[in-house]
Amino acid sequence: MVKVRDGDLDRLGLLFERYKRPLYGFFYGMNRDQELCEDLVQNTFIRILKYRHLFRGDGDFKTWMFHIARNVSHDQFRKNKIRLKEDVDRWHERLGHNENKLSEMQATEEQELLNMAMARLPEDRREVLLLSKYEEKKYKEIGEILGCSEGAVKVKVFRALQELKAVYQQLEKRM
Amino acid sequence: METNKIIELIAKYNEGLADPSEIKLLEQWIEEGLVDLTQLRELSALDLQLMKQEEPVPSLRLDDQFHAMLAEEKKKMKRTPLSFQFPEWNMLFPRLAMAASLLLVGFIGGYWLQRPIPQGDVQALTKEVSEMKEMMVLSLLEKESASERLRAVSLTDDMDHVSDKVTKALFQTLNHDPNVNVRLAALEALKPYTKQSEVRQELIHSISQQDSPLVQVTLAELMVSIQEKKSVKELQKLLDNDRTPREVKNKIKESIDVLI
Repeated sequence: MVKVRDGDLDRLGLLFERYKRPLYGFFYGMNRDQELCEDLVQNTFIRILKYRHLFRGDGDFKTWMFHIARNVSHDQFRKNKIRLKEDVDRWHERLGHNENKLSEMQATEEQELLNMAMARLPEDRREVLLLSKYEEKKYKEIGEILGCSEGAVKVKVFRALQELKAVYQQLEKRM
Repeated sequence: METNKIIELIAKYNEGLADPSEIKLLEQWIEEGLVDLTQLRELSALDLQLMKQEEPVPSLRLDDQFHAMLAEEKKKMKRTPLSFQFPEWNMLFPRLAMAASLLLVGFIGGYWLQRPIPQGDVQALTKEVSEMKEMMVLSLLEKESASERLRAVSLTDDMDHVSDKVTKALFQTLNHDPNVNVRLAALEALKPYTKQSEVRQELIHSISQQDSPLVQVTLAELMVSIQEKKSVKELQKLLDNDRTPREVKNKIKESIDVLI
């Protein structure tokens, strides 16, 4: 990224190849809309390019990228005021018709249930769990993204997992 | 004791028997790093399941969009190679400080250079330059090349005042230089100092030493122009000399007539 900042834009192509999937995964986990998520990945990289001079080079690029991605995601939610409390059935229906490359169609019942439970979580809970997944449990880095301490991130993850477990169990009973 | 309490509470939580106040305490221990999330069995399993979930894959549309955007950005960069981006303050500050200090040094340097030079310094400097010029004249007059000696004589034109040393050297040239042009130039160089009696005296003395008709005539003319009557005797000697050409004799005779 330091080279991108110094004008070697071709290097951004390498970063895109390396991080497009975790970034897309994060956005997809947040709103389950393939086209929108692709646009959000694109917007994230546009911002990276625009604000490349602000990258100081002393931190991890991935953390900086997720910080920007989070802002992009929040802006999107603010703009459209969409589906914080999305209807699970509608979401499920869309998943059925979606020609996404996701292997969710073939996913086990357990995984499908987990996806549904995730979709029912409030945005902040879902966000911390996705960051935990895509930042590979680096709680210190997640703390930098969320602006809180490592311990506070662990508590947030704990609460989010507790809530996920509760929603999951509810959905399990319905099935 | 504390460790036992922690282990007990973790076990209770894993059995699903922890009450809200105990969960609050658990949160506190998690925050303090005393309890690890992996110790909480069910949550850990759920977390693992979440981690194992297959990652969704974006379509090729994303790649196309990105590469088009990157190409456009590269084009823009080429179009505006001198585009200005306001640098960060921490990068800008040392540069500004450097620029300010250079400006200050410039002002101080300028002030120092513009400062009027004390009169004593000017005089010393003038004296030094004039001494250097004299040294140059004296050394050039000793050169074998006539043109170098001519250059030496012409250097005295720029000097407001010449020392006795230079005057002597000029007379030496006037009386003994093998080249007529150099002798004539020396005579020309001595003209501004004819007000000095020593110079006039030396010039009169030089008349009889000249064998070149050109120098003899020029000297005779000079004597007339400065109205040096004391030169008549020397001019008469030339007139009486059989080796003096007839045209020169006529000119000298004219000069003597004027002077008398």
